[in-house]
Amino acid sequence: MALWIQILPGSGKPIYAQVAEQISEAIAKGELASGDKLPAVRKLAAELVINPNTVARAYSRLEQAGLVTTKTGSGTYVSDPKLRRSDAADINILTERMDTLITRGLNLGLESEDIIAMFKARIDKFVSKPKAGRGKND
Amino acid sequence: MTEPVLQTEGLTKYYGSVLAVDHLDLAIPRGCICGFVGRNGAGKTTAIKLMLGLLRPTAGSSRLLGCDSAALTPAIRQRIGYVTEGHRLFRWMSIAELEKFQRSFFAKQWDDKFFADMIEYFDLPKKRKIKHLSNGERAQVSLALALAPNPELLIMDDPTLGLDAAIRRQFLEGMIELIMREGRTVLFSSHILGDVERVSDRIVVIDKGVLRANCSLEEFRKAVKKVILSFADSTPAEVDIDGLLHCRRSEKELELILVSTADDHIAEWADKTGAEKYHIVKMNLEDQFIEFTAPANHKRMFRWEEI
Repeated sequence: MALWIQILPGSGKPIYAQVAEQISEAIAKGELASGDKLPAVRKLAAELVINPNTVARAYSRLEQAGLVTTKTGSGTYVSDPKLRRSDAADINILTERMDTLITRGLNLGLESEDIIAMFKARIDKFVSKPKAGRGKND
Repeated sequence: MTEPVLQTEGLTKYYGSVLAVDHLDLAIPRGCICGFVGRNGAGKTTAIKLMLGLLRPTAGSSRLLGCDSAALTPAIRQRIGYVTEGHRLFRWMSIAELEKFQRSFFAKQWDDKFFADMIEYFDLPKKRKIKHLSNGERAQVSLALALAPNPELLIMDDPTLGLDAAIRRQFLEGMIELIMREGRTVLFSSHILGDVERVSDRIVVIDKGVLRANCSLEEFRKAVKKVILSFADSTPAEVDIDGLLHCRRSEKELELILVSTADDHIAEWADKTGAEKYHIVKMNLEDQFIEFTAPANHKRMFRWEEI
């Protein structure tokens, strides 16, 4: 899986966050399904040529978000969506972020239908993609 | 906490009347990749040579793997790898001869297969003399020589200077490969901050011979901030915010570079001075480094008047 993770040093975004975000996006898109095993920390570090501590940090961030679980001595797995934490606080954060986007959209002069259509188009990109996962050249 | 693999105390070096390294107090813990950064002439090479006992300090001391740098025993030296700036290798030797020569210093630890595999991977003929290699090829031989004895501490002085992206990446891969082994530590100097960001988990910054930072990379990334504040009429006369490093003014704006200033404190200060708005600008490592090592009252080289 490491092949589709892109590392951009100098982008301003910490490398652990780049790794965590790309994995969470793959989980959201279903390219990584519940129960799938993530590569071992050392393996991913070697493949991406980044510090193993950076990978470990990315994994622990994903674990905090409830997206993966680590089984001692076995590895890190994508967790079951039904068991993922989605408490009121998380939903609040999501609502706030949506508000920011909606505000910007309205300020740009978009109609609410336009904004809904844009949301719909973006969501389709996530959920309608075949589950086979990305190719190397994606 | 175990003893640091590398420790200096008040390490100081004068070349005549020129102060190259100024009371360096440094401690590097075991198990990290440490990016050693500083501008040209900051004293990185001198500091490295002092640590390795290749130069005599004017004052102070340093210890590698618990042993005084001035009296490193052969047994300790065997556990340390050193890659010189420019990969200076004996030009008249072939790769095979150089390996034999180098192996003699490391005895049992030398991994023949590892060295052979690397040279094969680089597609270099072992009989070729060093003087007939390109800069990149010589760097590759130097990397193989540095890794083959499986050093506990690897010190590299600007190993990727002037190398192409592919060979630079091989050096980064080599560092990652080494660090995965138990208890290995790497210190490397570089001007390529993207490389430092990619592989390091620790950063040491020196400027004009003085230690400016020695912390985790993450800590450094969080510590150096740029804040832009806008004011309705004019900027405040006194800028008394904590952690101020640089302050640049235009008529109605202040651009501040801050170190270790909490976001709450920035908000309070903006409020206190009646700023209309402020924002904390995301900086990449290179911008942070440039600001962090810029002289006081640093101004931009070129200024464009507002049109």
